[in-house]
Amino acid sequence: MAAVGVSRGFGLGRPGWPAKLNVVRTVFLARIRIISRYKGAILMEALLPIVFAAMPVLLGTSVAGGNPAEAFCNTLVRGGGLVIPPGETCIQNYPNFGNYKLYMLIGASTFTVVSIMMWLIGYWVRREQETGTLESLALAPARRIWILAGVTSYAFVRAMIAFVIAILLGSLVFQVNPFEQGVAPALAFLALGLLPLWGLSFMFGAFIMRIKEADSVIQVLQWVLAFLMGVFYPLTLLPPLMQGIAGLFPPTVMTDAIRASILNITYFYGSAYGSVAVLFAMALVTPLLGYELFEVTERRLRRREGVGHY
Amino acid sequence: MESIIRVDKLSKSFTTKERKKGQKRKRTVQALKDVDLVVYEGENFGLLGPNGAGKTTLIKCLTTLLLPSEGTAWVNGYNIHKQEDSVRASLGCMLMGDRGLYWKLTGRENLDYFGALYHVPRDVRRKRIGELIDLLKLDEYADRTVETYSSGQKMLVAFAKALINDAPILFFDEPTVTMDVPTARELRRIVRSLNKDQGKTIVYTTHLMHEAEELCDRVAIIDRGEIIALGTPNDLKASLVREDVVQLEGVFPARTVDRLRATPGVRDVVVKAEGNGRTTLAVVCDNSRLLLPRIIEAVSGNGASLEYIKPQEVTLEDVFIAKTGRSLAIDTREVVKEAGKGGGGRG
Repeated sequence: MAAVGVSRGFGLGRPGWPAKLNVVRTVFLARIRIISRYKGAILMEALLPIVFAAMPVLLGTSVAGGNPAEAFCNTLVRGGGLVIPPGETCIQNYPNFGNYKLYMLIGASTFTVVSIMMWLIGYWVRREQETGTLESLALAPARRIWILAGVTSYAFVRAMIAFVIAILLGSLVFQVNPFEQGVAPALAFLALGLLPLWGLSFMFGAFIMRIKEADSVIQVLQWVLAFLMGVFYPLTLLPPLMQGIAGLFPPTVMTDAIRASILNITYFYGSAYGSVAVLFAMALVTPLLGYELFEVTERRLRRREGVGHY
Repeated sequence: MESIIRVDKLSKSFTTKERKKGQKRKRTVQALKDVDLVVYEGENFGLLGPNGAGKTTLIKCLTTLLLPSEGTAWVNGYNIHKQEDSVRASLGCMLMGDRGLYWKLTGRENLDYFGALYHVPRDVRRKRIGELIDLLKLDEYADRTVETYSSGQKMLVAFAKALINDAPILFFDEPTVTMDVPTARELRRIVRSLNKDQGKTIVYTTHLMHEAEELCDRVAIIDRGEIIALGTPNDLKASLVREDVVQLEGVFPARTVDRLRATPGVRDVVVKAEGNGRTTLAVVCDNSRLLLPRIIEAVSGNGASLEYIKPQEVTLEDVFIAKTGRSLAIDTREVVKEAGKGGGGRG
């Protein structure tokens, strides 16, 4: 009955690196195309951290009265176990520790990077479930890791665009200079911190895929994340147990290290080397755990109602 | 003929949660029961059955979207448990109607996207997309975003998506469901051509009997997770040649069906449609010519009004009725519900 020379299709056997990278590239470009068709989305996203940072800056100014920089410096110095000689001001001894505006701006900007990376994966999974495209992806022979790599690359680019615009515009708005010192190590910390963040976003995607709801989870986690990351305050203000928990959260370590290198203030893990070691360990473990969790969740769904169930 | 799909004792059960009067209760639903099936290379194979019969569950297991509870299957020689990627690469699927497309991408961009996920090389992809746009006459809207399409247009792009990787096996799950009549006819013509001219093996699920009769070399009738009949449409219909079906339309009191069933020579009576107080009954009997006076007598009186009598040729739907005692028009899930109350279908 079969005609001679029936096509065998494509993708049988093990696809090579060009085919795998082509999947990453195609998924990445498709996401970029899609977001570019929602006018103004990226710009609005970039403005968010400036507004987000402006609130605590204004609050700090109103609470601290005439000298918020001195008040902030005192908090950081005491938290870091440093000493101010009697009769001298904090700013005189630790001039870098009073730059509360840049501290808030960096915190808000890295928070934006973290939330974009995580929420985009969460919303991506949910939306794909709802529109049926997740099932279409599951039907294709392309491995999930390459599809996820495409989506996370897109999330990374979006996060970086928002980060750069926020830092540049924010510097103008708050009259601060983020490029005076420690820019190179800060970028290295950002790059290193993105690897565990990649893994966390897989975990979050798996969670959303499992519970089939994104909005309410993101609403809650947004604040938990900001709290754990110490976006607007030094972690030393938290009780010891909370400090321990926050210190195990990769975005917290990344934000702390970026701030410490740019502002030349104390590191949560004592030194830049301490932060590098912790971030490096997290970068090794978290992506593997995240991908494994994503695969386990998908397999569980396939055993139960199927990935297309929404 | 060589088998291209082999299903071996495949079962699938789901645990569902029922919420009734504020209480949650777990219930296990057996969606597939020990299904054995062989589809041969180059065959156009139909899976028929009412909604909820298990057609889609079977297809989802074969396409690796669902893991079976028990049993296994081989698709294009690859095991659905152990060689998932090769199974997927062997298939082109249209399973979700007009869902499964990116609305903010154009039809062409969607095809390119999914082509890449099936590892179709870029130059081949471009050529293939052009061919599919010509074949399905998508050129008018292929470069518009999918959000602007009508349901029928989305269905056609979803159909094109199933063909993008030029796979040897195609799964179509009710592909014509939201199409207008001429488009559905054209799509069936293309399905026939894919099978006859290109030698593709096609698994086509539908609850439209005329589609199955028109397209399929063999059909399996599936009901409540079991294959209850399997063969060519002609063989299945031939199995009923000794029975006639008479269709009656009119207004019938409640006891009419029982009176008809009690009539000697009548094998079964099925309520095919109801609405506005009017009912359509299918009476399966040994010899309609001989029995017609008795049938008329059984439905007359007691306020009945017989409006139309039509002797029918045997269809696949009649095969289904003969096997299950129910009409395909009735949703299986409704029948299950009724059966739980002590009424409903026989099968």
